[in-house]
Amino acid sequence: MAFVLTVAFVNGCATVISKMINYRCTKVLGTNNGSLVNYVVASVLSLILLLVSSHFKVDLYAYAQAPWWLYLGGVFGIIAFLISMVTLTRLKVMESTILLLVGQLTAGILFDTFFFHNISPKKLLGIALVAVGIIWDNRISSAEREKSKSGA
Amino acid sequence: MYAFFTLIAGACQSAMASLNGMLTDHVGMFGMSLMVHAIGGALLILYMKTVTREKLKITGMPWYLYSAGFFGIFLVVSSSYSIGILGVSVTTCISITGQLVISAVIDHFGWFGVPKVPFQPKRLPCFALILAGLIIINLS
Repeated sequence: MAFVLTVAFVNGCATVISKMINYRCTKVLGTNNGSLVNYVVASVLSLILLLVSSHFKVDLYAYAQAPWWLYLGGVFGIIAFLISMVTLTRLKVMESTILLLVGQLTAGILFDTFFFHNISPKKLLGIALVAVGIIWDNRISSAEREKSKSGA
Repeated sequence: MYAFFTLIAGACQSAMASLNGMLTDHVGMFGMSLMVHAIGGALLILYMKTVTREKLKITGMPWYLYSAGFFGIFLVVSSSYSIGILGVSVTTCISITGQLVISAVIDHFGWFGVPKVPFQPKRLPCFALILAGLIIINLS
């Protein structure tokens, strides 16, 4: 249990560092090409890891067996990317952070209920507390950001 | 309207994470990562060729920025692993907590050349609330 909690936490840390790297990529190459780097390098690297880890025997039958809609993950990723391109400049950082969080958690709870069947009232209470904590923290730090901006 | 679309973007991220988690059961983590990035990349190229009509260019950056791809793999693999065990919403909660903590540390020490922003003690109650929520989730 401790291991998977650590993985989820490190996933969050890596998200921030990855966003900083991606931001610098987009500064050099532009928004779309800068994001394309991530996809191209990750695809090539995944293919190499896949080949090596399976000793060059990839079970293609398993890919055909998987229901087709499981492959829509990449599609949803691109939709989220394109939406955030359009909306990020038009909303305040605080607004978009909170809206993304609410969207993620609402959909997450729905998927947990219908696909993974692992939601309980206690869990919902915990999730609500975490969400309130994150939104509250967001208000404090964005108020600070405004202050330092007007002060500078 | 923009607010609504941002909500949808958040929902898409959860949908992607759930689907990736289930795809991993069929094709393994590297197979999943390959399919997700190849399909996403192909769609992005399609978008750039038909909508924005841009030239594709991914060369000419400092070498270390190409680690973006390594992070891309780590992110999809680690999130689908923890979703398989914890579910989507709990993984999201813990992951965002990780984001808050690392951002506070990076800002406090001014790592990676970001402007130094000392940690505000008045943020501590928020972190305590988040921790309380995570403990309740863990107990359930």
